[in-house]
Amino acid sequence: MAEDANVKAGTVYHPAEGNRKVKVAASGVDVFYADKQALHDVSVEIGDRAVTAFIGPSGCGKSTFLRCINRMNDTIDTARVSGSIRIDGEEINDRSVDPVLLRARVGMVFQKPNPFPKSIFDNVAYGPRIHGLAVSKDELDSIVETSLKKAGLWDEVADRLDQPGNSLSGGQQQRLVIARAIAVNPEVILMDEPCSALDPIATARIEELIDELRENYCLIIVTHSMAQAARVSQMTAFFHLGHLVEFGPTEEIFTNPRDRRTQDYITGRFG
Amino acid sequence: MQLSLFTALALLVLTATGFLAGRTRALAIGAREEGRLHSLPNYHGYFVALWTGLPAFALLALYAVTGTMVVNTLALGELSRASEPLQQRYEAILATDEDHRAATASVERLEAEIRMLRAEADAIIASEGPHSEALAPLRARQEERLFDQDDARFVITSREAAIAGIVLEAADADVADARARAGFEYRRLPPEQRELFVADARALAFADTLASRDTPELRAAAEAFVPRQQALAWGVSLAALALAAGGLAFGRSRVTRQFRARNRVEWMVSAALMLASAIAILTTLGIVLSLLFESLRFFASIDWRVQDFLFGTQWSPQTAIRPGQIGQSGSFGAVPLFAGTGLIMLIAMLVAAPVGLFAAIYLSEYADSRFRAWAKPVLEILAGVPTVVYGFFALLTVGPLLRDFALFLGYEDAVTQSALAAGLVMGVMIIPFVSSLSDDVINAVPQSLRDGAYAMGATKSETIRHVVFPAALPGIVGALLLAISRAIGETMIVVMAAGQAANLTANPLESVTTITVQIVMLLTGDQEFNSPKTLSAFALGLVLFVLTLILNIIALRVVQRYREKYD
Amino acid sequence: MTDAPRPIADAVRQRLARRHRAEGRFRMFGVGAIVLAIAFLAVLIGSIIAQSTGAFTTYTLTLPITIEREVADPRGDMSEASLRRGSYNQLIQRALQAELPAASSRTELRDLFSLYSGLNAAPVMRRVVADPSLIGQEISVSMPVNHEIDLYLKGITVREDRQPGEGAITMDADGDEVRLTGEMPVFARFVSRIRAQAEDERQEALSRAARAQAQAGMAESRDAREAALAAERRAFADAERFETIIDPETSILLGARTASLLIGVNGGVISVSAVSPDGRTAQGSVLLPLESDAASSDWTEWVIETPPAARRVGDLQAIYARTLEERGLIDQRFNTRLFLNADSREPELAGVMGAFIGSILTMLVTMLLAVPIGVGTAIYLEEFAPKTRLTGFIEVNINNLAAVPSIVFGLLGLAVFINAFGLPRSAPLVGGMVLALMTLPTVIISSRAALRAVPPSIREAALGVGASKTQAVFQHVLPLAMPGILTGSIIGLAQALGETAPLLMIGMVAFVADAPSLGLAGLTQPSTVMPVQVFLWSGASERAFEMRTAAAILVLLTLMILFNAVAIYLRRRFERRW
Repeated sequence: MAEDANVKAGTVYHPAEGNRKVKVAASGVDVFYADKQALHDVSVEIGDRAVTAFIGPSGCGKSTFLRCINRMNDTIDTARVSGSIRIDGEEINDRSVDPVLLRARVGMVFQKPNPFPKSIFDNVAYGPRIHGLAVSKDELDSIVETSLKKAGLWDEVADRLDQPGNSLSGGQQQRLVIARAIAVNPEVILMDEPCSALDPIATARIEELIDELRENYCLIIVTHSMAQAARVSQMTAFFHLGHLVEFGPTEEIFTNPRDRRTQDYITGRFG
Repeated sequence: MQLSLFTALALLVLTATGFLAGRTRALAIGAREEGRLHSLPNYHGYFVALWTGLPAFALLALYAVTGTMVVNTLALGELSRASEPLQQRYEAILATDEDHRAATASVERLEAEIRMLRAEADAIIASEGPHSEALAPLRARQEERLFDQDDARFVITSREAAIAGIVLEAADADVADARARAGFEYRRLPPEQRELFVADARALAFADTLASRDTPELRAAAEAFVPRQQALAWGVSLAALALAAGGLAFGRSRVTRQFRARNRVEWMVSAALMLASAIAILTTLGIVLSLLFESLRFFASIDWRVQDFLFGTQWSPQTAIRPGQIGQSGSFGAVPLFAGTGLIMLIAMLVAAPVGLFAAIYLSEYADSRFRAWAKPVLEILAGVPTVVYGFFALLTVGPLLRDFALFLGYEDAVTQSALAAGLVMGVMIIPFVSSLSDDVINAVPQSLRDGAYAMGATKSETIRHVVFPAALPGIVGALLLAISRAIGETMIVVMAAGQAANLTANPLESVTTITVQIVMLLTGDQEFNSPKTLSAFALGLVLFVLTLILNIIALRVVQRYREKYD
Repeated sequence: MTDAPRPIADAVRQRLARRHRAEGRFRMFGVGAIVLAIAFLAVLIGSIIAQSTGAFTTYTLTLPITIEREVADPRGDMSEASLRRGSYNQLIQRALQAELPAASSRTELRDLFSLYSGLNAAPVMRRVVADPSLIGQEISVSMPVNHEIDLYLKGITVREDRQPGEGAITMDADGDEVRLTGEMPVFARFVSRIRAQAEDERQEALSRAARAQAQAGMAESRDAREAALAAERRAFADAERFETIIDPETSILLGARTASLLIGVNGGVISVSAVSPDGRTAQGSVLLPLESDAASSDWTEWVIETPPAARRVGDLQAIYARTLEERGLIDQRFNTRLFLNADSREPELAGVMGAFIGSILTMLVTMLLAVPIGVGTAIYLEEFAPKTRLTGFIEVNINNLAAVPSIVFGLLGLAVFINAFGLPRSAPLVGGMVLALMTLPTVIISSRAALRAVPPSIREAALGVGASKTQAVFQHVLPLAMPGILTGSIIGLAQALGETAPLLMIGMVAFVADAPSLGLAGLTQPSTVMPVQVFLWSGASERAFEMRTAAAILVLLTLMILFNAVAIYLRRRFERRW
C-alpha cells in the first residue's frame, strides 16, 4: 500500500532521516513554458544541512524544478509557475516576496562556470557589495577570504586576486563561482550540473567541496551522473517526463528502487 | 546610337543562334557517335554562345566608351588641317607686331623679377620666420610687379584677339571655307571653352541635344563630325558582326564528343566571378590613387607646405591666389574645418551615444517581444530617412527653433545655421546606428552571465550595469567608433545646417564648417579643375578617408575580437 | 521556522527599497530613450507634413483666350517655325485685360500681368503648334497664379480680414481722390484695431531701444558703441512714429508700415490713405473704378493687416486676384504640376517629374551594376575562393568600403569617371555608376550572409550526386539564397535612392528644366535626382519652394517606404530557418 502511494505523483515525500529539519517544502508545483507543461504536480520536502540530488534523463524537469526554488524562471518571459514552495515555512511564490531577497538567501551555481568579467576579488565581493553586507573594506576582505577558503580556492588565488576571473582554469572558475555564491552566506545552495563541464580531477575537488559545505548549508544538486549522486548526496529524487517519480535516501534509491522507471534508469535501460 | 543599338540586337540574335548551333551539334554528335558526350549539350551551347557574343560585345563596349573621343580627335584634326593657312597668316602677322613683342618681353622680365623677389622672401622666411617685418616691402613690390604683369598679359591677349579678327575678316573677304574658320576659332579658344565648342558642334551634327549657339563656323565643324561618326559606327558594327560570326564558327568547330565544354564554361564563370570581386579592390585602389594623385597636385601648387594645410588656422580658399605670390598659401589652413567637424561630431555623439545605448539596452533587456517587434522597425525608419531630409529638418525647423530659444535666453548673436542645430539632428540620425550595433553586441553577451548575476540577487539594472555592460564594453566602443566615423563623413546635414563660415570656435551656437561642407562648396558650381582651390577638395577628401579608415579598422578589429571571445 | 532567520535577510531588506528605486530610474532612462527616438521621428515627419500642406493645391487662373492669327502666326504662312515665333504671352495678356478693363495705366497693367508667369505661354504655343486649326478660335487655358499670389490667396503669407461694413457711407469724388463719410463712426473698429497694433509695436520698439542702450553701455569697441547707439536712435524714431497713430487727436495716416484699409463699394475698391481719429471720415483713392458714387450701406471693410512693406503682394495685386477669384476665374485645384512638371525657376510651375525620371534612370544603372557584381563577388568569396591572405584582404577591404563616407565615392567619380574617362557631367549614367560602387559593399555583405545561411548539407547533397561545384552553387545554393540576396539588394538600392552627397560631386546639382528622356539617350542627358531636387529647392529663397521641398520629401519618403516594404515583404514571404 505504502509502495503504491509513493509511486503516485503528488505524494509528499518526507526527509527520511527524521532528525533533519525541513528546509524547502514544495507542493503541487506545475511549470509551463508557453503552452508546454514541463513539470507536473511536484511535491517534496527537502531537509537542511544535507545534499539532495535530483537525477533523471535530460528534459525530465529536474533543472526546471531547481530554478523554481530561487525563482529563476521569472527571468524567462514565457515561463509560468503554480503551486506552493516554502522555505522555512515561508511561501516564496507569494507576490509580496521579492525575488532579489529570495535569491540572496538561495544561491545558485550553474552548469558552465560563469565568472563575471571582473577580477577574482570583485567576483567574490559582488554579492556582499550589492546587498550591502560589508560595512568596511576590511570586512569585505575577510568575507572574500573566508569564502574563497570555504571554496578551497584561497591557496591558489591568494596572490592574484586582482586578475580577471576568467583567467582561471575551468575547475577553478567553478570553485570561484561557488565562493561567489557562499559569500552572501545563503541558506540554500542550488547547483545545476556543476561538474558537467569539468575534467575528473576538477570534478573530484568540487565533490569534496560539496561534501564540506553540507555542514552548514542545504544543498540541492542536479546531476546527470548517477555515480556523482551516489557519492555526494544523502537524499535523491528521480524525475521523469516532468514527474517526480521517487524520492528517498540515496542508498535506498540506488539499491532498492521502488519504481520500475527508477530501476530502469539506474540500471541504464534509458537515459 | 541607333546603329549600335541595332548591332547589339543582331549580336544578341547571333549569340542565341550560337547557343542553338552548339547544342544542336552536340546532340547530333551524341546521337551519331559511340559513347557519352563529356558535357551536356547545353554546355556546348553556352560555350559557342560565349565565343559568339563575348568578343563582339567587348568591341561594342570599347566603342561606346572611346567612340566619341575617337570621332572628336579625327574631326578636330581635320578642322585643324583646314585652318592651317589662316593659322600661318595669323602667326606671320603676330611675329611682326611690335606691341605684342614688347608685351611678351615685359611679361618675361617681370616674371624673372617676381621669381627673384620670391627667392629673397624665402630666404627671409628661412632666417627670420614667416612673420618678419622685412617681408612687407617685398610683398608690396611683388604685388606691383604682378599688376604690371597682368597689364602686359592683357595687352598680349587683346593684340592677339585683334590680329585674329583681322585674319578672319580677310578670310571672309576671300570666302575661305567656313571649315577653316571653325578650325581657327577652335585653336584660339581656351581649353575650358573648347569643350563647349565640341559639345555645340556635336549637338548641331547629331541633333540629340540643343546647341547653346548656332554659327556658320559651328555648322561647318558639325559637318566634319558627321561623316567620321558614321564611318566609325558602320566600321565598328560590321567588325562586331564579323567577330561574332567568326566566333560562332570557331566555337562550333570545337564541339566534339570528348570536348570538355562544361569545364571551359565553368572556368569562364569563375573568371567572371573573380573579376567581380576584383572590383571591390579596384574601387579602394581608385579611391586611394585618385585622392592621393590630386592631393599631391594640390600640395605641389602650394609649394609642398603640407604643414600649413594640416596646422594652419586660416581657411579662405575662395581668395584667388596668383602663382608665386608670397605668403598666401596660409589661406589653406584646414584646422577650422577639423575643429568644426570635431565640434559637430561631439554634439552628435552626446545625443546619439546615451539615447542609442539606452534604447538598445531597453530593447534587448527589458522590452517584451511584442514591443520589440514594432519599436525596432520604427528605429529602422529613422535610419532609412535620407540625410537630405534631416538637413531640411535642421535648416527649417531645428535651426530657427534653437536660434529663437538662444535669443529668448538673451544670446544676441544667435544664427540659424549653427553647430548645435547640425549636431543635434545628426545625433538623431545616428541614434538607430548606435542602437542597432549595440543591440547586436549586447545580445552576444551570454545568458549565463546574466543568470549568474540574477542568481546572486542582483536586480535587472544591477545585472546590466555590473555584468552585461562591462562584458559588452569592447563591442560598444567599436560601435561608437563606427558611429563617430559616420558622423565625420556625414555631408548633407552639415551642408544645409552648419554654415560655410570657417570659424575656429568652440561655441556651438555659432556657424562652423566641416571637411565635407568644404568639399561640397569647392566642387559645386563653376570650377576650373586645375586650380588649387578645386584640388584642395581632394586633399580634404584624403584626410576624411584616412580618418574614417583608421576609425573603421580599429572599430572592426575591436568588434571582431569581442565576437571571437563569446562565440 | 525554529532557527532565527540568518542576519543576511535583514541586511538585504534594508537596502531593498533604495535598490528598487535605482532600478526604476534606470528603466525610465531606457523608456525615455525609446520615447525620445520615436518622438524625434514623429516631429520630423509631422513637421514635414505640416510644411507640405500648402503645396498640394494651387490657385489656378482659367481664361478664355482667342488665338488671334496675326499674333500667333507672325509670318502668316502657318508653318511650324512661324507658329513657334508667335507671341502667346500677348494673347494671355489681352484675355486678362479683357476681364479687367479697368487696369489701363502702366503700373496697373504690370500688377495685373504679374498674376501669372510668362512661362505659361509655352504650353499654349505647344497646343497651337500641335493643332494649328485652333487659330482664330477661343480656347480655355488654365495656368497657376504667381506663387506669391497663391500664398496670399491661401492666407499663408498675408493676414487679412474682410467683413461687411456697418452703416451707410457717402463718397465725394475729386478726380481719383475720394472722401468717405460715414453716417456714424464706421471706421471706429479699424481705428481701435490699428491703434492697438501700434501700441504693441511701440512697446516693442521701446524695449528694442532699451536693449540697444544697454548694449551701448557694455560695448567694448567704439564701432560697436556707435552701432548700438544708432540702433537705439532708430528704435526711438519708430516708437515716435507709432505714437502719432496712437494719439487720439491726429488723423491716422496709412502707409507702407501700417495695415492697409480697402473699402469695397459699388463694384469698385477704394484704398484708404488717412482716417480721421473719430473713425467717421476717411480719405482714399480709387484702385478699382466704382460703378457709381451713390451712397451705400452695402460695403466691405477689407483690412490687410500685414503692412505692404512686409509682404510681396501689393494692394492692387490683391484686389485683382480677389476680383478674379470672385468671378470664378481663379479657383483652388489639386496641384498636378507638382507631380507632372520638371523643375522650374517659378515655384508654381516647378515639379518633381524630372528628378523622378532621373532617379529611375540612375537607379537602373545602379541596379544593373551593383547587383550582378555584388552577388558575383559574394558567390566567389563564399563558395569558390580559397581562404588565402588575398581573400582575407578582400574581405577586410569590403568591410571598410562599407563604412567609407559617401562623399568620397563622389570624389572618386569626379576624378575617375569624369576627369579621367571623360564621361559627361550631371548624367544618370555616371551617377548610377558612383552609387553602384557605394552600394556594392551592402549587396556583397547581405548576399554573403544569405549564402552562408544555406546549410552545407544542400551543397554536399548536390556534390554527392555528381554535380560540379558550379552546378551545385548555381542550381541549388543560389536559388535558396535568392530571397535574402534580393532583400539585401533592395535595401542597398533604397539607400542609394536617398543618397545626395556623391551626386553633388559629379554635377547632378544642375538646374534642369527638361526631364531627361526615359530611355538609353536619357542616360547621358543632364538630369538630377529626387534627393538632390530636395536639396536644390531647400536652398531657394521663395517661400513657395519651402512647401514644395516638403512635398518632394514626402514623395521621396513614399518611394523609400515602398522599397523597404517590398524588402520586408520578401523577407517575410520567403524567410526560412534551417
